[in-house]
Amino acid sequence: MFDFLIDGFGVAFTPLNLGLAFLGALLGTLFGALPGIGPINGIAILMPLAYTLGLPAESALIMLAGIYTGAEYGGRMSSILLNVPGDAGAVMTTLDGHPLAKKGLAGPALGLSAVSSFVGATIAILGLTLFAPLLARAAVLFGPAEFFALMVFAFSSMSVMMGKDPIKTAIGAVLGVLIATVGVDSGTGVMRFTFDMPELYDGIDFVVMIIGLFAISEILLMLEHANRKDSEAELPPLGRVFVSMKEVMLCKWTMLRSGLMGFIIGVLPGTGASVAGAVSYTTEKRLCDKEGTFGKGDWRGLAAPEAANNASAAGSFVPMLTLGIPGSGTTAVLLGALMLYNITPGPMMFSENPEVAGGLIASLYIGNIVLLALNLPLAGLFARVLTIPRWVLVPGIAILSFVGVYQLHSDLTAIYLMLIIGIFGYLLRKLGFSLAPVILGYVLGGLMEENLRRALAISGGDTGILWQSGISLGLWIAAAALLILPWLFGRLSAVRTSRSA
Amino acid sequence: MSLFNSRTADRGLAIALIGLAAFIASQALSLEVPFSYDPVGPKAFPIGLAIILALLSLVLLIRPGENGEWPSAGVALKLLAVLGLLLIYALLFQRLGYLMSSGLVIAGLARLFSASWLKAVATGVLMAIGSYWLFTLGLGITLPGGSWLG
Repeated sequence: MFDFLIDGFGVAFTPLNLGLAFLGALLGTLFGALPGIGPINGIAILMPLAYTLGLPAESALIMLAGIYTGAEYGGRMSSILLNVPGDAGAVMTTLDGHPLAKKGLAGPALGLSAVSSFVGATIAILGLTLFAPLLARAAVLFGPAEFFALMVFAFSSMSVMMGKDPIKTAIGAVLGVLIATVGVDSGTGVMRFTFDMPELYDGIDFVVMIIGLFAISEILLMLEHANRKDSEAELPPLGRVFVSMKEVMLCKWTMLRSGLMGFIIGVLPGTGASVAGAVSYTTEKRLCDKEGTFGKGDWRGLAAPEAANNASAAGSFVPMLTLGIPGSGTTAVLLGALMLYNITPGPMMFSENPEVAGGLIASLYIGNIVLLALNLPLAGLFARVLTIPRWVLVPGIAILSFVGVYQLHSDLTAIYLMLIIGIFGYLLRKLGFSLAPVILGYVLGGLMEENLRRALAISGGDTGILWQSGISLGLWIAAAALLILPWLFGRLSAVRTSRSA
Repeated sequence: MSLFNSRTADRGLAIALIGLAAFIASQALSLEVPFSYDPVGPKAFPIGLAIILALLSLVLLIRPGENGEWPSAGVALKLLAVLGLLLIYALLFQRLGYLMSSGLVIAGLARLFSASWLKAVATGVLMAIGSYWLFTLGLGITLPGGSWLG
């Protein structure tokens, strides 16, 4: 049953793909370490350039996956050194990471986070290797109705888990799905929401969408940060460069537990690194914090979220590869990238494109080792990236965005569209929205409509087919439970506190 | 000091989204669909989404939530300046060519992000030339040379 992995290593070990895995890991770490640029922005900026290399699908995906995991690695630097999390997944890393840096232990803290990231990711990649083929086999039983129910489940789990405000998360997802409806309707050939503009007939291009939404809005946000007083932070001294074996061994159970937890959370659709980091940190705090050192620079408090968020990053490949449902905003971007190559991830991928599925999983093993090898000795060098001034960084992002979009069709309309989407993304972020649901909605929207219509075409319009099978009924019930239970618990506890008061 | 109060912003957003939902629904309803075997057709899905969007926006209208911090008037002005520069970049991109337009816009952006004039101009020149080499020679992308050259 592991034939795909053996084939995969065959694909991943070609010199080109090894080089790309290395390049992706390096670029990802650099971009992840850049102040204010999280993994998702890094991928958004680098992806169009990966296309221009004219790589075959599996090579492009290997490079993108390297960028993805590399960016998760790099994101911790600003958390530890500057107390500024690069993205939501790294928020928990600041709690104990930055106090350690203040104690003069920045070097070992970076080292420990590299080791725990490695352990967490390894656990999750092993899990991915074991479970993905099994799940893919089960997913073959899924028809259009089951897929539709699964996407409804993914959206409801996302509304509950992602972001602070469930209503805004849901609105963001709906807006994303609506953007996906622009263009020619594949079923009937009718133009929808194109307003007679030929540029919109093919819909809003994926690259235009992610660059506008993430890179352009990031430029605008950076301008605001630049006008705050605390913007020019000093790098603390790194201290000794390597983490000691004693410190690593102190955290071994924390890493294993958090890695496992992160993997499971990553597998659930819609729940990404931020949830994994938070859950593992609070669990470890409850289990290990006997002397009240968590939050003041405890090694375990750093190891827990780092192991968990890297594990969830690899775990979110499970639903993406087997069901075609991304587990996080970043995997949604990767899924969109695959669709550009006319590969629809899903249960058939392991049988139809084994070189892509296997090659990707194999390259995750390789990339993980490359990352550890890069990050332990070179942490000091990567930390230097944090001191790049904004007046160099922002023009750099601007030209990368423009060229990335321009090279698609040598067309200016796409650039104007990118700017409009950028303003839209900026406003959403200011209004307290998270962008991950928007991109998930955009990527899944087309599939969702397609599956709904296919299901109803099979039944001749009878909506009963949507919840007839056991699988889809179960998914509908799970989706409803996710939406109702937190609200119900909130009500109950509110009643209880008002009674006791 | 910020430009809006967070509740007002959310209420305004909710009203705008309800308007958007109505617009989407009316656009979808006016689609002319040729005969097809598909029992759902292209209208139902957007209309369903518009209804969900309207309902969610109603909830937001009744219970507005937290916003990020809105920029002060001075920062907002700078934001407009950055957007203006990006728009100028788009306008000039093909006319002036990659090297000239990028050099100008990079210098302008660097200046807006409070680099000194000297640093801004140096960044503009170096980054425009360096990136031109990287994109054209390294990645094989064709960039506009500029119509002004002839």
